[in-house]
Amino acid sequence: MKTIIVIREKDYRWVRHVFPDIHPLLLPICNKPYIEFLIDFSVLSGSREIRLASDGPLGEVEAYCENGSRWGVQTSYASIQGTDDLEVVLEKNRHFCSDGRSLVINGMVFINYDQKQEYKTVFASLPAGELLSCSGGSLMLTGVPENSGSISRSCPFSISSIDSVSLYYNLSIDILNDASTPYVLPGYNNEELCHIGRNVIIGKSAEIRKPVVIGDNVQIQGGAVVGPGAVIGSNVIIDRESSVIRSVVLAHTYIGEQLEVEDKIAAGNMLIEPESGASLAIEDPHLLTGIKKSGATVPFLRYLLHTLVALTIVVFQLIPFLLLFPVLKLQGKWKQRMQECFADMSGKTLKLSETAIETGGPISTIAAFLSLDRFFLLFRVLAGQLAVIGSRPVPATSENRDLLNRMPGYRAGVFSYAEAEDWPVEADDMAIVERFYAAQGKPLRDITLTMKALFNRIHDKSLP
Amino acid sequence: MNTTIILPAEMRYLRLATITAWTAAEIFTDTLEIKEGVHDFCHAFELSVCETFSNSVRYADPANEEKNVTICFSSCNDSLTVSVSDTNPPFDPVTSLPDINSYPEKGFGLFMIHQLMDEVTYTREKGGNLITMTKSAGKHEK
Amino acid sequence: MIISEKIISNISVLTPEGSLDAATVPQLKNFTAKSEVTPTLVLNLSGVDFLDSSGLGAIVGMARNKRESGGDVVLACMNDKVRKVFEITQVARLFHIFDDLEAAAGYAEKQQKSL
Repeated sequence: MKTIIVIREKDYRWVRHVFPDIHPLLLPICNKPYIEFLIDFSVLSGSREIRLASDGPLGEVEAYCENGSRWGVQTSYASIQGTDDLEVVLEKNRHFCSDGRSLVINGMVFINYDQKQEYKTVFASLPAGELLSCSGGSLMLTGVPENSGSISRSCPFSISSIDSVSLYYNLSIDILNDASTPYVLPGYNNEELCHIGRNVIIGKSAEIRKPVVIGDNVQIQGGAVVGPGAVIGSNVIIDRESSVIRSVVLAHTYIGEQLEVEDKIAAGNMLIEPESGASLAIEDPHLLTGIKKSGATVPFLRYLLHTLVALTIVVFQLIPFLLLFPVLKLQGKWKQRMQECFADMSGKTLKLSETAIETGGPISTIAAFLSLDRFFLLFRVLAGQLAVIGSRPVPATSENRDLLNRMPGYRAGVFSYAEAEDWPVEADDMAIVERFYAAQGKPLRDITLTMKALFNRIHDKSLP
Repeated sequence: MNTTIILPAEMRYLRLATITAWTAAEIFTDTLEIKEGVHDFCHAFELSVCETFSNSVRYADPANEEKNVTICFSSCNDSLTVSVSDTNPPFDPVTSLPDINSYPEKGFGLFMIHQLMDEVTYTREKGGNLITMTKSAGKHEK
Repeated sequence: MIISEKIISNISVLTPEGSLDAATVPQLKNFTAKSEVTPTLVLNLSGVDFLDSSGLGAIVGMARNKRESGGDVVLACMNDKVRKVFEITQVARLFHIFDDLEAAAGYAEKQQKSL
């Protein structure tokens, strides 16, 4: 048995419209990408090979699924044309479909299955042809049944369309409320209706009310209420005294202070009303005022403090630097290059030296341990060009100029807030932590965070 | 890893350049004992070196008898860097994708490199072009 | 690079073998310029183990020429490395791509008849 998933751009146009940054096959349903539901079902049906055929780009999906070994299957990918009918699609994949039976999942459909069942024997006795269909697509089987004696026509599963944002929302909430857990959802699950990911920090007096599904790297600040009925994606911050009820918060979203999110979908800075599909940009007053304040009234105080901190670190690093730098330089392990980076929101650029210390040997380890690679950058703080702690410097390219506009409060720093929080260093995830601190940042807190960044880097380096 | 190979700027050496790139990437992933996505990682280097080397050959000065292309591999943590340098006049690095519907025959090279690599930089150095391309063997693809 | 030609279902099938890159593209162009092929042809890529932007450009150029005269180039049996080049450049959307040579030739024949 093999499975071929046929999905066309026209099937998922609505996803591109509502969630432009998410590949429709990776659209999370209760934090589990849509494609994984299809893979799980294929595995239950006895498929060992899965092919994805689409007229749209599949690169992101391929990067996510790789060769499928994570699920014990082999995945492959094929390009089709949007105008190809199902017959042509199967011809284009004739070699793949040639031996034995193939299950064809056509369109953006959700299969309501149960992980505790196995469908191998069911499929062996189902006849060829269309099994189920709905407005969004169909399920079809090719090849002759193995048990020709006992042909059955009943399917112990059903399908439904996911062709609008309201169907997507209802599906998420239905799965969330289903205590029989027919699907494997990501996260730690030791009680009914509750899945929690890794590195979830729940602040004092914050409340979690079941049912909930919470992803990885989530901060729920004091006084916040999450649930009942909340899907929180990975790398999300729910700030103080906000509530998220019967809502879906997608990954990389920051819910500002004292916001009430009810019966909504939150994605990035967009709040979507699932029934009407209407959306509005969240103009979080606290986020915006926070930035204005720190920008206007405290620059001098900030400069003074940052200079002091930088000076202190320079004093501590000076002797180790003088001892180790010549050795590393001789060994060729001190790699330095200049890079043009944005200094702040205005788009002003700075030429910064980026240093990498090649690993191997005790000297490199000590140097990395002491963050000597940032030594030269500290002097730029004294010159008032860099902050001690801020955002990771963004290389000055025209593409990144747009990125900058989405990072309110950006200010290049020797250390980054993401390093202080030991946050996964990936552009999207970093942006959210940095946005959070850019808004919350107070000069005194910067000192603690700098120390945290220094300490975290030691911790990083001491891992083998 | 720190390896340099110097090849004459002639198209018949292209395969040697690409095989070297694949092998260098393979040695690198072997050393780090990386098992996942090795094939894609090596292919990224094979293709990127192929594109840059053939570009260098294409725009090489025909009057210059002893023109070479230098390919240098170096590693830092879980990233592999390859730099390709020539002695050609400067060129304009166009990285956007040409309009597919006009059936373009050219202009895919640099776009592909940008898609495959994590970081690409162009510099003018010692009267030639230097393209430096880095990719991490950890989580790949953008 | 070795390029061979055969007829399946009244359709010319070109099979280049080896690496299709800037160094070998002239050979493919030479071959197609000289040989008399059917208006719609199948390019069997099963023997191509590496494709670069020049090779891709040559295939796109071949398709443009064929389509201008009402024919087409149908692609068959590309490996993962080759498919990746078609995928990231979005050129895949210009072509009919088959994983089976017979199926590709059958499709090409139908297309040619409908002219």
